[in-house]
Order: sequence, then C-alpha cells, then structure tokens
Amino acid sequence: MTPTVATRNAPSAPGAIERAICRIDSLRARAERRTGASFWGLIPFLIFIVLFLGIPVCGIVLSAFRVADVNEPGSYVPSLVNFAASFRGASWDAMRNSLQISVIAALVGGVIGLALAQAILTTRSRKLTAVVTVLTSVLANSGGVPLAFSFIAAVGNAGIITGLLSLTDLGFTLYSSGGLILMYQYFLIPTMVMVVLPTLAGLRVEWKEAAASVGATSWQFWKKIGLPIATPAILSGFVLLFGASFATHASAAALIGGGGVPLISLRIDSGLAGGNLAGQENVAMALGVNMIVVALIVLLIYMPLQKRSLKWFT
Amino acid sequence: MVHVSRKTRAARDVRVVAPGLSWALIILVALYIAVPMLCAFAFSIYVPTAGFTFEPYLESVRDPGFPGALSLTLLITVLTVVGLLALMVPTMVYLHLRAPRWRPIIEIVCTIPLVVPSIALAAGLVTVLRSMAGFGRGSLPAQVSQLLQNPDLPVVLVGSYIVLTLPFVFRSLDAGLRTIDLRTLVESAHSLGASGATVLRRVILPNIKGPVIFSAFFCIALCLGEFTVAVTLGYRTLPVWLTQIAGSNFRASISMSLLINALTWALLIAMTVLAGRAAPARARALKGHES
Repeated sequence: MTPTVATRNAPSAPGAIERAICRIDSLRARAERRTGASFWGLIPFLIFIVLFLGIPVCGIVLSAFRVADVNEPGSYVPSLVNFAASFRGASWDAMRNSLQISVIAALVGGVIGLALAQAILTTRSRKLTAVVTVLTSVLANSGGVPLAFSFIAAVGNAGIITGLLSLTDLGFTLYSSGGLILMYQYFLIPTMVMVVLPTLAGLRVEWKEAAASVGATSWQFWKKIGLPIATPAILSGFVLLFGASFATHASAAALIGGGGVPLISLRIDSGLAGGNLAGQENVAMALGVNMIVVALIVLLIYMPLQKRSLKWFT
Repeated sequence: MVHVSRKTRAARDVRVVAPGLSWALIILVALYIAVPMLCAFAFSIYVPTAGFTFEPYLESVRDPGFPGALSLTLLITVLTVVGLLALMVPTMVYLHLRAPRWRPIIEIVCTIPLVVPSIALAAGLVTVLRSMAGFGRGSLPAQVSQLLQNPDLPVVLVGSYIVLTLPFVFRSLDAGLRTIDLRTLVESAHSLGASGATVLRRVILPNIKGPVIFSAFFCIALCLGEFTVAVTLGYRTLPVWLTQIAGSNFRASISMSLLINALTWALLIAMTVLAGRAAPARARALKGHES
C-alpha cells in the first residue's frame, strides 16, 4: 500500500510546481502582451518616418497619377497620362538606355567580380583576402562626384591615360554609355566580390577533395557541386549590380550633366528643373515611380536568393 | 605510382585557375582601381605650365564659395549624426525591450529607403515642398515649407540624410542589441536605482559602442559625399559646389574632391575594420551610388 500512496503523492508535488510554472508563464506572457501593445515609445520614430519618408513617397506617387486640369487652372485631375508619357519619346529613351546600360554593366561587373573573387581565393593568401574584404566594402560604397572627377582626370577628353594611349583616336569617349559602364565598374566589381567571396570561400576544400577522390575532374566538380551551390549568390550579385547601376545618379550627373547620354535619373532631374512645360514635373514623378518599382523588383528577387545562398553555410 | 598521381591531381583540381592567371587578373583590377585616383592626384599636383605645385589645393580653398559650402556641409553632418543617434538608439532599445512585436514592422520600414532611389526621394521632397509653398504666402503650409528649407539650417536635408542611413543603421544597432542580454542589464541597473537616462547612457551605450560608432561613421561618410538630394533641393554643399567650380577650375575642384574622398575612405575603412565584417555595406549597393 505504501508504494501506491507514494505514487499518488509523488505527482502532486511536481504537479504543483508545474502549475506554478504555468502560472508564472502566463503572467509573463500577459505582461509581455501588455508591454508589446504599448508602442508609445516608437511614436517619435514613426512621426519622423511619416514626415521624411512617408510624405515624400506619397507626394511622388500622387503627383505621378495626376495632371493639371485644363478647364480649371491650378487644380488637378487623376490620370495615367504621366505614365503613358514616361513610356514614350525622350523619357522612354532614357529609361530604355538606363535599363540597357544597367544590364551590360551588371554582366561585365558580375563576370569580372566572380573571376576576381575566385582568383583571390586561388592565391590562398590570407593577407590578400583580409585586405580585399575591407577594400571591397569601401569601394562598393564609393562613387558620386569624386568618382566622376577621377575618371575625367584619367580617361576624360584631356585625361592622362587618354593622352598616353591616344584613346580619342580609337574612338573612345568617357561621355557615353560605354564610358558610364566603364566608370560604374569601380563600385560594381567590388560589390560582386563582396557578395560572392564568402560563398566561394565556403565551398569546402573537403568537398573538392571528396569529389577528386572519387575521380571527378575539376570541371565536373564545378558543374555538379560548385556552381549549383554558388548559383544563388552569383544571381543575387547580378541582380544587385543591376539595381545599383539603375539607381545611380550622382556620378552620372557629375560626368554627363544635362545632355549627352539619356538616363532615367538625369531625366528626372531635367523634368524637375525644367519648368519649361507644365506637366513635365509630373512626368518626372512618373519616372520616379518607375524607378521605385524597378528597385522594389530588384529587392524582391535579391532577398530570397541571398537567403538561399546562405543555406549551405549556416 | 597510381596513388601518387591521383593525389597530385586532387591537389591540382582544387584550383580552377592557374595562380599566374589569378595574379594577372588581380593586378589588372588593382590597376583599374588605382589608376583613376593616381591620375586625379597627378592632376592636382602637376600643372603643365607651372610644374609641381600645391596651387590647385590653395585655389580651391580660396574660392569664394568654399567657406559657405564647407560650413553648410559640416553643420548638416553634425546635425544628422546627432539627430540619427538621438532618434535611433532610444527607438531601437525600446523596440528590443518593450515592443519586440513591432520589430518586423520597423525592420520593413527601415528597409524602404533601399527601394527609393535618392533621386526619387529628392523628387518627392521637391513636389511636396512646392505644393506646400503653393498654398500662398503666409499660409501655414508655406511657412512650414520655408522653415524646412531654411538656407542656413536645411532641416529637410538633415531629415532625408537620416532616412538614407536607416537601412544600415537599423541592421547594425539591431545586431548589436541582439548580442547583449539587454533585459538583464536594464533590470539589474534599475534594481540598483539607476534612472532610465542613466541606464541608457552608462549601461546600454557602452555595450553597443561598436554599432553606434559604425552608424556614426557611415552617416558622416554619407553626409560628406551626398550629392543627389542636395543638388535637387538647391543646396550648395561641398559636392554640389565642386561640380559648380569644375567648369572654370577643374584642377581646384579635383584637389578638393580628392581630399573629401580620402576622408570618406578613411571613415569607411575605420568603420569596416571596427565592424569586423562588411555585411551591412552589402545592402548599400542596392541603393545605388548616389552619395
């Protein structure tokens, strides 16, 4: 009989403890629910975001979707005319050229960046890898006016390299789509290296050795193992480079200025500054919305690929 | 024999590219990176008619537009860094401590600037400020518009620069706060009688010093180089002034641009080394290279 009593009594004590733990848990959960609901501390941040991000973005979208009312000067009517105009004439030329430049620049930068990342790993120099890691993050963030100026000094009309190699005779000019693609590589190649280097470095030596030990050639290793693992990172790199080229404004503006090469970002500039024709400003806003849409698509493709590329290494 | 040959093949197969070819590519890209900067440097210290000289640097400093551009840029930089940290550090701490449920939403909000190219943000600001001014002289919206665009204290520029840094600052501070046991730290400090401000200043800040310095340096580098928003809104910051004098005195403008670039790179290098990893910088590329 005693054992039964014991077994009957024994659960009761842990039961009490469990109940107590449950109670504490529910109290804590309730407390967390309460504090979780109190978002008052986030109000300053939210006010700031509405003022400096929400209102400008709403402003650009609203302006893009309206035109001046011809019957009533000073008032506006909702319309898709601006978007129609953004896909016609000079605006469409600018958008198409921007897309074209971005695709070519991304392909060039992607291929060179990928080869460079593999080359860096091939040297097996830790020092080089460390230096490259810092340099790429600096160069990927560089750009703007100083970048354009240094390219003008090197390969501009009166540039030092232009003179040395008589590039003008070869038909090269920096102030062209090709020149922009050349200049963009300055931040695109480092960006690509930054994206793919960790993945390529993560292809474990053991995998290569294992493949080699069962008789796989280098080509077979890359085809069956290396590339499938590295593909998401490589694709995300290409997409990122495309987005970076497409959104670039400062260095292109400092190099090209108003005329010469049609670019979507420069077209927005001239539409805003123009004031020549009423309505140009609204078309510029439509172009701005187009840019946001492209950037959104880029981010939506990039993020899952980036997540996937980390799958093997976490 | 067979065993040995297989082993050497395995060793060889690990390398895809011959080392010689690898070095050739590395040197080529290194030249591509170095040459434009060296050419710019040569431009700034060598004038064909006068030989080696520092004259371009002196000319850039002597330009009547320089003091104004420098002071405006410095003012904006200081205000942006202070504003950014004053806004984001308490917000992020609050988020982790009291409102963890809101974290995903705040994260998305902080990522939005990545899909709004600077030129689009600038265009949005222009259209809003213009339509506010359109309410007529003396009306409240027109006054607010004027206040935001005050030429001596362009609040609108400070605000938009803070927005541009948010994606990186959020990630950096978020990662920093996640690595420390914030709740325990704060509760122990409170139990010892520390007030909220003291906890923030003396307990939390020292523990997230790395991310805070990272954010500040990133923000300074952005403020020193940002061109798109400033030029679109009509402010004469250093980069804008550089493009304005480039036409008349290219050597002077390139000298000053080299100095600014060197400072920016130094900040970015320090930031990367301090952070110990380049992850947040990766996302920056998405944004394009407006700064």
